Amino acid sequence: MFKFISAVKKEYLLLLRDKAGIIILFIMPMILIIIFSLLQEVTWNAIAQEPKVEMLFVNNDGDSLGINMEKGLRSSGFFDVIDSVNHAKVTAESARAAVKKGDFLIAIVVPKGVTKSMRANVRVAVAKTLSGFGMFNPNLLNNIVPKGADTVTLYFDPTIRKAFKNAVVSSIKEFNYRSETGMIFRSFNIEMSKQFPAYKPADIEYKESLQFKEVFPNYVEREEIPTTVQHNVPAWAIFAMFFIIIPLTGSMIKEREEGSLARLMSMPVSYIHLLLAKVTVYFFVCLVQSFLMIFSGIFILPLFHIPMLVIGNHIIALTLMTIATALAALGYGLLVGTIANTHQQAAAFGAVSIIILAAIGGVWVPVYLMPNVMRHVAMISPLNWGMTGFYNIFLRQGGLITIMIPALKLVAFFLGSVLITYIYRKIKSPLNI
Amino acid sequence: MAERPIIEIKNLSKRYKGSDEPALKDITLDIYPLEIFGLLGPNGAGKTTTISILCGLFAPTGGEIMIDGFNLHNELDQIKQVIGVVPQDVALYPTLTALENLVFFGNMYGLKGKYLKDLIMDRMNVFGLERFAKKKISSFSGGMKRRVNLIAGLLHDPKILFLDEPTAGIDVQSKVVILEFLQEINQKGTTIIYTSHYMEEAENLCSRVSIMDRGTIVSTGNPKELVADHPEFKNLENLYLYLTGKGLRD
Repeated sequence: MFKFISAVKKEYLLLLRDKAGIIILFIMPMILIIIFSLLQEVTWNAIAQEPKVEMLFVNNDGDSLGINMEKGLRSSGFFDVIDSVNHAKVTAESARAAVKKGDFLIAIVVPKGVTKSMRANVRVAVAKTLSGFGMFNPNLLNNIVPKGADTVTLYFDPTIRKAFKNAVVSSIKEFNYRSETGMIFRSFNIEMSKQFPAYKPADIEYKESLQFKEVFPNYVEREEIPTTVQHNVPAWAIFAMFFIIIPLTGSMIKEREEGSLARLMSMPVSYIHLLLAKVTVYFFVCLVQSFLMIFSGIFILPLFHIPMLVIGNHIIALTLMTIATALAALGYGLLVGTIANTHQQAAAFGAVSIIILAAIGGVWVPVYLMPNVMRHVAMISPLNWGMTGFYNIFLRQGGLITIMIPALKLVAFFLGSVLITYIYRKIKSPLNI
Repeated sequence: MAERPIIEIKNLSKRYKGSDEPALKDITLDIYPLEIFGLLGPNGAGKTTTISILCGLFAPTGGEIMIDGFNLHNELDQIKQVIGVVPQDVALYPTLTALENLVFFGNMYGLKGKYLKDLIMDRMNVFGLERFAKKKISSFSGGMKRRVNLIAGLLHDPKILFLDEPTAGIDVQSKVVILEFLQEINQKGTTIIYTSHYMEEAENLCSRVSIMDRGTIVSTGNPKELVADHPEFKNLENLYLYLTGKGLRD
């Protein structure tokens, strides 16, 4: 124990006097969090706030269907409905030309008299229904000519995504159904009043019998919308912890290259003891890193008008997740530091492998924004396991149970790395481990 | 030499992975207590490999080694308690002070507290370094580093001390201090095994030497007796050149 404490003290002093290492470990990740949060804030807002799509709307109908459609599109919040460009009323031709030219993504042309036609058709349908009950004189319909379906034309830019196009078409159809349903109700009321003068139309406002509730299924059933900070703080904290591979392997290989390790291995102390001392110091470094990252998220980022980090109430889960991530990062560092022959090898392989694991693990681009194939690939990255755990705490308000699987995966990764390190060392130096 | 050897090497061989030629070929050697034993030879002769194996840093490919009655294969922990090693490179932490380095290495030998600090200051005093105890190693000259390097290997007063070219590349003053100190601790009971390229130094310091070449021992004996056995050579260096050849080595 005494030797172990002495080795820890030595590692601590070496780290303390390594200015470049301290910058890599503590300052750079904080700068990364601030820069990436600032950079992503604009993009993130664009995704989160769903900017309005400009849509040309030509209402040649001027009656209830056209009016309701325009009202509905405006109130949806997705579209900026434009009916005149450069003080000139948009026509069917100019709308088509504007979309063709690429000036607008969507244009809708509601033909003249579409409401009138619909109304006539509805009246015929209602009258036919009532005549079946002997409540209507079919001869009265002689002067009403049922019409074929009118056409509302929708122009789409070819680059528009199919899903978005379908959503627009569905919305238009929905407005149409609503208008038509309203007309049927009103028409029934009118005809009933004619047949039964005593009949007073009930003041019925038709309401949809099926409603839809949108819920983000987190563990406290409260809606939490992810912000750049909720993503960036855990992402870069994990990245920083794994980037500890650079100073850790540097320290291991420097010790080897300068001959200190050889000297130590001739002394009554084991290699594993020395590694454990390194792990202990760098483990605390990881904890301090995490604390600084969270501190940045709560206190520094708001200074840049970026939303404050919300860490939730599960401090124990957060601590355990940090410990598990730190262990995984250290295990990987020990493995690379033991296998690499030179500092250059370790630095190059270590840095590149962490960048790759970070990229596929969702540090830069959140996994849910990745293509389907990459979402599966992401699952092999320990950084992704870390992200999953931190997301469960920060975004889904999850507790201990929710981080169990990612945390266990990270601890297993640590144990696996240490085991491989031990076996490799045993093969390389069978007498002295 | 009737007493039991403190180091017994039997049929020692070593082949590095990927190497065509073995680094050591069937070496057999006994070293006795209180000897200052020199391993001499050109580059690539196998001196450092031999010392590294004796310290437990490399596993031999074949052969048996006993050190102070302990078998290297299964009693390395006990061996580590009785040996001290001064490597060829300055194996110190440059960003730590001399005192921090020596306290750490002393701790690894189980030494601690005031006893260790007093011991360190005493040794630093012997080597003229007491004023530099709290200076970082990175600020030391080559000779000063060599002296601290030496102190780190013998803080625990080892029974057997291995030195790999301890005087390479240092000034004459540092060399004299180091060699005098080695003779002093040898007289107090430390067996010294030492490698060097300096024949004159070895001739004056060592009680016996082995001249190695291409992984084998080509001659072993007291330096003066070896020269006496070959009257055609006036000193150990001439004999050495005769035995190992004048060809340049990698």
